[in-house]
Amino acid sequence: MACVGSSRLCARVEKLCQFGQFAQFRRKVSTTCVKFRQEFQQPAKTVVQHCKTDSRTRICSRLEGVRSMSSMQTQQPGSLPEYQVDPYRLLEDDLKDVYDDIRQALTENTTQEDLKTIATYYFDGQGKALRPMVAILIARAINYHKERSDLLASQRQVAMIAEMIHSASLIHDDVIDQSDFRRGKPSVNVLWSQKKVTMAGDFILAVASMMIARLRNDDVTLTLSQVVTDLVQGEFMQLGSKETENERFAHYLTKTYRKTASLIANSAKAVAMLAGADDHLAEVAFQYGRNVGLAFQLVDDLLDFVSSSAAMGKPTAADLKLGLATAPVLFACERYPELNPMIMRRFQEPGDVEKAFELVHKSQGLEQTRFLAKKHCVEAARLAQSLAESPYQKGLLVVSDLVINRMK
Amino acid sequence: MALNKSLSVVLRGGNAISGLLCNKYHLLIKDKRDFCPGATRSFATKVAASQKPDWNRAVSEAEKIVGYPTSFLSLRWLLSDEIANVALHLRKLVGSNHPLLKTAKSLIYNGRNNMQAWGLIVLLISKAAGHLNVDDMEEDKAAGVLYSQRALAEVTEMIRTSHVVHKGLVNIHPGVYPEASEMNDMTFGNKIALLSGDYLLGNSCAELAALRNQDLVELMSSAVRDLAEAEFIGRRDSQNNPLPPIPPLDRNGYAVKEWTLQNVLSAGALLGKSCQGTLKLAGHNNEVQEQGYKFGKHLALAWQACLDLGPFIGKDHSIPFSLCCAPVMFHIEHDPTILTEIDKGLESVHNVDYAKVHDIIMTGPGVELTKQLQKEHSQKAMEVLNVFEESDARTALSNIIAAMGDY
Repeated sequence: MACVGSSRLCARVEKLCQFGQFAQFRRKVSTTCVKFRQEFQQPAKTVVQHCKTDSRTRICSRLEGVRSMSSMQTQQPGSLPEYQVDPYRLLEDDLKDVYDDIRQALTENTTQEDLKTIATYYFDGQGKALRPMVAILIARAINYHKERSDLLASQRQVAMIAEMIHSASLIHDDVIDQSDFRRGKPSVNVLWSQKKVTMAGDFILAVASMMIARLRNDDVTLTLSQVVTDLVQGEFMQLGSKETENERFAHYLTKTYRKTASLIANSAKAVAMLAGADDHLAEVAFQYGRNVGLAFQLVDDLLDFVSSSAAMGKPTAADLKLGLATAPVLFACERYPELNPMIMRRFQEPGDVEKAFELVHKSQGLEQTRFLAKKHCVEAARLAQSLAESPYQKGLLVVSDLVINRMK
Repeated sequence: MALNKSLSVVLRGGNAISGLLCNKYHLLIKDKRDFCPGATRSFATKVAASQKPDWNRAVSEAEKIVGYPTSFLSLRWLLSDEIANVALHLRKLVGSNHPLLKTAKSLIYNGRNNMQAWGLIVLLISKAAGHLNVDDMEEDKAAGVLYSQRALAEVTEMIRTSHVVHKGLVNIHPGVYPEASEMNDMTFGNKIALLSGDYLLGNSCAELAALRNQDLVELMSSAVRDLAEAEFIGRRDSQNNPLPPIPPLDRNGYAVKEWTLQNVLSAGALLGKSCQGTLKLAGHNNEVQEQGYKFGKHLALAWQACLDLGPFIGKDHSIPFSLCCAPVMFHIEHDPTILTEIDKGLESVHNVDYAKVHDIIMTGPGVELTKQLQKEHSQKAMEVLNVFEESDARTALSNIIAAMGDY
């Protein structure tokens, strides 16, 4: 019964995720690739790529079969044994000074010591630097695809900007969520007052948009400013919840896109545009980032239920305590409808958090969340396959794998 | 303006939806009423000729010169989900002590501190300076300004409002709100204030980006940076209210230097850069743009000096004032012993005996020097205006400056 139920839900989720654009998009991508190959007139490469694509399709179709049996947990679709590239090592030189440069950019914009300290607090180099890494990786993969080997200074700037926008939003989240720990150290709101922290967030955003403006590219500015509006709208969406299950899931996915995936997707698009990519190639970058971003957040929401405080650097079941119903809960309430009233009252009553936590673990919610995340990773990998083969392109495949299999 | 009304409806406990609809109706009426440029033109000159320019009249006449009210909260804003969301959440705050309500109310009152006036200034200077080599399609003919300039005026208001809203958060220190319900109100109020401010900021980013002028984006972003930096200047109490910095041994020039530093960052930079930016959009050269910056900066400083004077020139002695306002700063330079009273506010400015400080100030040179300060900045702003040709917009601007000095 559970199997039937979950596959039914997954099918629905699939529909919601796609918003009807996916099928169309797939067509677009494949035609683009064909066009590219014709343009570049590299027959040998084309053949190789075609073979690759074919084998890929086979894997995908095999996966379809597996999926229908709903035993995805035993398979590792993203793991492709021949790729042993570590993207962080691959980009070591590009990434090593990113935090230093961000701190430099921030400190040279103010003379106030307090502001410098708060603004640079989260740029201590302890973070995963996922956003700059993905941005630079895509930049290099796209550059290679466009037959150039260097990383543009402007693309590296976008990587820095992505991390800055992310941190500004973290800092504002801290004011709202009143969390005590972040990245394994006291969060900013514990150390400084709400007003100063808020202003420091505004400051980081302002400096980031000055850096955006200095790239002197209208479309890049438009793309990156979209991120900021998405972040705020996502935050607003988190304030409210929807009545029916269907609406709730769509609401959750849109919120996830806006709060997490939009930044990764749009910075990917921005670096592609800086490389001179046409609309289709920029869209490939965007969709890669979007899928990786969605998968990343889904796994994050999943880990909130399974990992220990030590591994995450923040307390577990934090989302429930904040009154947020994430994917695992939404999946679980398919099996345990008694979760519905708890979701509506945002787990406010005593015992709600514990009860919900238990029900999620008893249900298939976690597996289903992982399954959905995997789907996005597979899609991301498929998009990465459409780029010319290079270490960086391989890196993109590894990233989609990493996102699923990370422990923290 | 529209936000003000919708907030007022909400604050009165009315239904948010009906509030929004009322506004829609009101806006439509207002648009009709204001749209008669011919009539207003003669009106403006009449004001210029009259002896005693009144503030509110100067502003409302000026509004007509540039078409319709400059408020960023046009219909499209009112109908957005987020604004409706904020209005709903604000209702929950009614009855609590959260200062966001006060901020909301202050947006309603049409005082000299009115945010809308900032967008208006930007439009007036745009019209006064005119524009060069611009596509016909991009001009709002009736008003004599470009659509992009109107957008910039909106952005200016949004940035300023966002800053005021963010300033209105409460610092929640452990143990200050022992009662859970009060603590919850404050936390929730902070959340709404933070998000509303971010919403305005995010939208100003998007609006700016849509203008496709990267010099302008950089300029306006640097104004946002300045506003944020302003909140870190000098000494602060536990609620981040400013206290005057400790003067050096040689106090000469202390008041003007510190006051100017604070207020250029918190006000002058935004208005200055907006005025500079609007001239940039009009295709003027760097020199003229610089003049625009000077105009906006001095006007904002004159304005601030005027606001600082308020509590010290009326009959009402109970108007609250900032401990860093110009009269106090001038008094410290004159006689720093007043700091013994002021420093009682290091923990919280509420521990200061304001009546006592007020009385001390009235015996010193602070008020007179502030009037001079205002006059200097007004004059500098006026000087810039003389660069431009005679026009109704220029007259309106000088009326506004004149009305400021009108006690």
